[in-house]
Amino acid sequence: MKGGETSSGGGGQDDSSTAVSSRKNKKPKYSRFTQQELPACKPILTPGWVISSFIFVGIVFIPIGLASLFASEHVVEIVERYDKDCIPPDYRNNSLHYIQTSETNKTCTRTFHVPKHMKGPVFIYYELDNFYQNHRRYVKSRSDKQLRSKASEATTGTCKPEAVTSNGQPIVPCGLVAWSLFNDTYSFSIKNEALNVSKKDIAWKSDQEHKFGSDVYPKNFQSGSFIGGGKLNSSIPLSEQVDLIVWMRTAALPNFRKLYGKIERDLEANSTITVIIQNNYNTYGFGGKKKLVLSTTSWIGGKNNFLGKAYLTIGGLCLFLAVCFIFVYVLKPRPLGDPSYLSWNRNPGEHVN
Amino acid sequence: MDSQNPCEGEISLNQWKGGNSVREVRHGSRGGDLEMLGLSQKEIGDDDARLVYLNEPVKSNERYEFSGNSIRTSKYSAFSFLPRNLFRQFHRVAYIYFLIIAVLNQLPQLAVFGRGASIMPLAFVLSVTAVKDAYEDWRRHRSDRVENNRLAWVLVDDQFQQKKWKDIQVGEIIRIQTNETLPCDMVLLSTSEPTGVAYVQTVNLDGESNLKTRYAKQETLPRIPEKEMINGLIKCERPNRNIYGFQANMEIEGKRLSLGPSNILLRGCELKNTAWAIGVAVYCGRETKAMLNSSGASSKRSQLETLMNFETIILSVFLIVLCSIVSICAAVWLRRRRDELDILPFYRRKDFAHGDPKDFNYYGWGLEIFFTFLMSVIVFQIMIPISLYISMELVRVGQAYFMIRDMILYDEDSNSRFQCRSLNINEDLGQIKYVFSDKTGTLTENKMEFQRASIWGVDYSDGRTSSQNDPVQGSKIDGKILQPKMKVKVDPQLLELSRRGKDTKGAKNVHDFFLALAACNTIVPLVVDDRLDSTVKLLDYQGESPDEQALAYAAAAYGFMLTERTSGHIIISIQGERQRFNVLGLHEFDSDRKRMSVILGCPDKTVKVFVKGADTSMFSVIDRSLNTNIIHATEAHLQTYSSMGLRTLVIGIRELNNSEFEQWHLEFEAASTAIIGRAALLRKVASNVENSLTILGASAIEDKLQQGVPEAIESLRTAGIKVWVLTGDKQETAISIGYSSKLLTSKMTSIIINSNSKESSRKSLEDALVASKKLMIVSGTTHNTGPSDEAAVNPVALIIDGTSLVYILDSELEEQLFELASRCSVVLCCRVAPLQKAGIVSLVKNRTRDMTLSIGDGANDVSMIQMADVGVGISGREGQQAVMASDFAMGQFRFLVPLLLVHGHWNYQRMGYMILYNFYRNAVFVLILFWYVLFTSFSLTTAITEWSSMLYSIIYTALPTIVVGILDKDLSRRTLLKYPQLYGAGHRREAYNSKLFWLTMIDTLWQSVAVFFIPLYAYWASTIDGSSIGDLWTLAVVILVNLHLAMDIIRWSWISHAVIWGSIIATFICVIIIDSVPIFAGYWAIFHVAKTELFWLCLLAIVAAALIPRFVVKFLYQYYSPCDIQIAREAEKFGSPRESPNTKIETNPILGSPHG
Repeated sequence: MKGGETSSGGGGQDDSSTAVSSRKNKKPKYSRFTQQELPACKPILTPGWVISSFIFVGIVFIPIGLASLFASEHVVEIVERYDKDCIPPDYRNNSLHYIQTSETNKTCTRTFHVPKHMKGPVFIYYELDNFYQNHRRYVKSRSDKQLRSKASEATTGTCKPEAVTSNGQPIVPCGLVAWSLFNDTYSFSIKNEALNVSKKDIAWKSDQEHKFGSDVYPKNFQSGSFIGGGKLNSSIPLSEQVDLIVWMRTAALPNFRKLYGKIERDLEANSTITVIIQNNYNTYGFGGKKKLVLSTTSWIGGKNNFLGKAYLTIGGLCLFLAVCFIFVYVLKPRPLGDPSYLSWNRNPGEHVN
Repeated sequence: MDSQNPCEGEISLNQWKGGNSVREVRHGSRGGDLEMLGLSQKEIGDDDARLVYLNEPVKSNERYEFSGNSIRTSKYSAFSFLPRNLFRQFHRVAYIYFLIIAVLNQLPQLAVFGRGASIMPLAFVLSVTAVKDAYEDWRRHRSDRVENNRLAWVLVDDQFQQKKWKDIQVGEIIRIQTNETLPCDMVLLSTSEPTGVAYVQTVNLDGESNLKTRYAKQETLPRIPEKEMINGLIKCERPNRNIYGFQANMEIEGKRLSLGPSNILLRGCELKNTAWAIGVAVYCGRETKAMLNSSGASSKRSQLETLMNFETIILSVFLIVLCSIVSICAAVWLRRRRDELDILPFYRRKDFAHGDPKDFNYYGWGLEIFFTFLMSVIVFQIMIPISLYISMELVRVGQAYFMIRDMILYDEDSNSRFQCRSLNINEDLGQIKYVFSDKTGTLTENKMEFQRASIWGVDYSDGRTSSQNDPVQGSKIDGKILQPKMKVKVDPQLLELSRRGKDTKGAKNVHDFFLALAACNTIVPLVVDDRLDSTVKLLDYQGESPDEQALAYAAAAYGFMLTERTSGHIIISIQGERQRFNVLGLHEFDSDRKRMSVILGCPDKTVKVFVKGADTSMFSVIDRSLNTNIIHATEAHLQTYSSMGLRTLVIGIRELNNSEFEQWHLEFEAASTAIIGRAALLRKVASNVENSLTILGASAIEDKLQQGVPEAIESLRTAGIKVWVLTGDKQETAISIGYSSKLLTSKMTSIIINSNSKESSRKSLEDALVASKKLMIVSGTTHNTGPSDEAAVNPVALIIDGTSLVYILDSELEEQLFELASRCSVVLCCRVAPLQKAGIVSLVKNRTRDMTLSIGDGANDVSMIQMADVGVGISGREGQQAVMASDFAMGQFRFLVPLLLVHGHWNYQRMGYMILYNFYRNAVFVLILFWYVLFTSFSLTTAITEWSSMLYSIIYTALPTIVVGILDKDLSRRTLLKYPQLYGAGHRREAYNSKLFWLTMIDTLWQSVAVFFIPLYAYWASTIDGSSIGDLWTLAVVILVNLHLAMDIIRWSWISHAVIWGSIIATFICVIIIDSVPIFAGYWAIFHVAKTELFWLCLLAIVAAALIPRFVVKFLYQYYSPCDIQIAREAEKFGSPRESPNTKIETNPILGSPHG
């Protein structure tokens, strides 16, 4: 009820309403947009389209799958589980004690066989299983600010329960992630000739340059009563602590590998490699497995046939579907857009009210 | 009882002028008003009364209980906006859910997301809505300000001064000039007319455009407030919303006068044809009847949204199931590892920092599980698609934009666009099953046109264009030519006859016939200037009934021009010669007699009774012994006329001799001054004099159908919509309009129910039910179709009148009526009162799940418009009342077809798809999070960053679904209008139903598995870090849901391309930005992972594997079990080579309307 000024007039108001109309014609302006008539493409799933797109997908996917499988098969991978075997028989029933005391000798020598020629660089990984680096408590327990700059040394609020020492000094780097740093070491030799393990470029450059400060030095690290893992040389800035940087890029899945180093040379087939392992890291407490992995690489990454198989499956399925559709289309075609298929034409009278 | 006498005297005066009982003519149901008024003049108790001292606003309002005259339709002020708006918004359960989640997340034990990220969605939703509300309220503020600052002349210090409306107070005396709008409800004191009459137009109040008469009391008439003080006291009832009732009395100079509805002028009315009027304000501001009646339209909820709520509950159950699984697994995990927890490197329960080792962030097994449950609710929160509500709102705004801009819905005549007044029910337009339509003004133009006449047994029907320019006709006033405002087609032969005077017998009858048309009415002629030609004055006939107007204009066209009406006489210019007739008496039209009569003292000293009325009632009072041939001829003509859908009236005449006149006069005087039962007495007097009439002839008026109505009704019917017409008109008219609008066809069997008791109603209903069943069995056997065919082959039309409905509605007979009505393809209700209209709508609405739509144009349609699921107002000539109450308003009835068949269909399809898609989109994301949680020892880590989780439904995937919801069209306008049957998709709920919901959910499950597990196996036991695989999952799911949408888009315009591909690109950009922040754990991850081929191969494999099942099912379904829409779409694209004969429908005239 807004008085008279908004009403568009009734019978007795002709004067005002025509005056209004001459002043302001409310007719909507024509444009293809407002009339919803924008030029548009209206694709329809015709049998031809569907069959040819399936064939296309099949033709694209099967070669990709084959290429992936091929690449994956060409990766030479040596996986050596050593967590059990590296425990001396006396301690087999008390592996926890073995790993926790400093009195025992943790050195363990293993040898393995190179099945095929491994072209350099050969990547050395350690693989942990059943280790939840993605646990909520764990991934949150770090301070990215502290890692980055010296000024934020004291920002350890998110690092509990490994934030400060018992006398209140901030731990650098703080948090469970750093505290549990993996500290097994490996040294390799072939026929008594030591293999040089390069640590160059094993960490992301971006992490080294921007995430881990070059002026941040480890402090009070692993100084508590309860040691979680490796120690750090406090004279080396965090940006150079590549093992820490690799470790702190927490793994997505409970079964993961981390890059330990590279052997910058080829390994001949059938050669035997001796590795001396310092078995320091405690995975016995939670039944985790430790493996040492030597692997070459390919464009597809490591040895993993899954993707190749997946592509072959999808491609094969598409070709199969294409054949099925061709078959069905030949047997039982339907003319597209035939009005006699409309429901009210099929059984007349149903909709005529 | 002394207070009654002046009142009664007044009313009889009104009657003489035919003013007060205006309403009786149009709405038979209000016939009792007058009688009621006389009897219900009970004393108003002091407790219930409002005391108004004339011209003493301060004294009147000494207890400060009356409201001032400023009005406020706005909801907020600048200060109250924030709290009140938030309060209102949180009425939505969804927002409360949001809030609880956000609050939970603030608890340190549960802080899954950072503070900023967790509040963002709620803040986003709230601020979008708040901005929208603020804008709307600002507009209301602006219109309030305009309204409050209008000026009126108010008596201050013995002279009238201009005062703003908002400052007017109860008790003040106000002077209104002609054409001004009344600022408040006021009791009329005096007017410029010596008789104290004031004409007002109430178009803003009740939608009726004709003038109403209001009267000042004789006692207050001579007062001139500037010169002499008026002291008086008005005792009136408390403010109420009854615009047709008012009870008060006024004490003035010791006299006590009774006041009624004819003495009050209401806010919003306009003063017309009265130079000025003076009144005293009695109700101001929000206490005025107009404001009390302007309660906003009740908020409606679309059916789709209601259905959706059920699915939302299912999703909540899913959510609870997911959370429970996580909690139970977490419980088992914690229990099995309970001995290791203290030292577990990735758990480390003990904090050794301060001497004694303490439990860190661990609250015991039970609580941990409980917290896990709550945390999983927080992580999986978008399972309930809150963003859907906001998207739906935006989509509706967009859809409304296009409906408003649609040129086909623009009405040239009234220069009005389509209006969307309610933004909640756009999609309901696609599911309408019942349309309830008013007749007058909705189906018809409410513009009566005199078409034919049968005079003395001769049919004159050769209507040609007007002969108005003939100077002989124009009578002169002040040297200017006087012409009727409306031009009428005339029959030349009849025109010739009418000019011949009354010499011959034939010409005399013609003379009397037109004299009757000119005199036997309650028309008030007004002389107005012609805007085009200054030498011409136009004669504007104001009257309550458009029929009377048409007849008076017709008489004028034939040279019988009614030029003046006062209380005692009328002046008719007969062929240019002014003649004065004394109006000795006038018997109003009433619904029992169905006729009216006037007793005229003619210039030749004879006294004649002219009677006009409905044929049924007239033939009973016509002397059948006289002129038998003429009567038969007239009857035959009437038959022809009504079969053409014309409204007919029969005219009779009788000359009264002296004794008869004297006798009538005595009776009339006695009856009109009677205190009790006056209306009945007057009716009796009328019946006595309306007797032994000589027939003069009959008139036929065309109630012109609006353009395109028959085609529109045809289309609606083909679309499977049942059209019911509810009209206040009489049955014959209703049926004839039914035929002319193709509502009724000759193939239909009509069942007519006219009962006047409950028993007879019951019997008629039972008979009708039996009859309709029988018809259906006949059709069922002959056509070999099931009984579910709903009377398709042999359609039945039900015609029922208001009297029968009185007995049927609100009784146990309702059920039978509904059963009967649902078997009929057409239902026509005549003579129904406004409330009965609403009753019929609710009869259907409460018994089916089908959607109802009411369409009407007048104040009498308001109740049914508000009752129906969707109310449509015609913004036509009957004012704005219906529009104000409606959800949608438009200019013409025929626009209903494009509105429902095109826009309704589109809106429904779009909204249905959008809801399903939003469910899918959020569920697939939640499931991916869920799968990952299973690989994190149930600790609710998310690989996808919290910012991506929050941006997912705001940026990554929001725009495409909104744009598709606004713009996508499954079929073109042309196809939808060509095959109205396609509208059935909405009736069958094809776009959204629980089958589709479950199919979508199964698809969702598969897609989430594909997205999650392909990377999982591809990266199992690799060096992949959480952030990188999280980025892969983020991009995969965004690309997937956008391609899923792309697969279902039907029309690809550049906008669709832009939003789909734009969203994917925007997601890449956002992920890059998030990964460029060094303090986030995922710093630079995307650049590292995107360098590897494996990443891209995973993306490709995910998209292919996830979409293939949907693609296959979609294709098979479309190809081998095509729905109508699919076939029509193919036909649209490929043309139809074998058009079958029964689908050929002429190009719809609705489509062919001017296109600019």
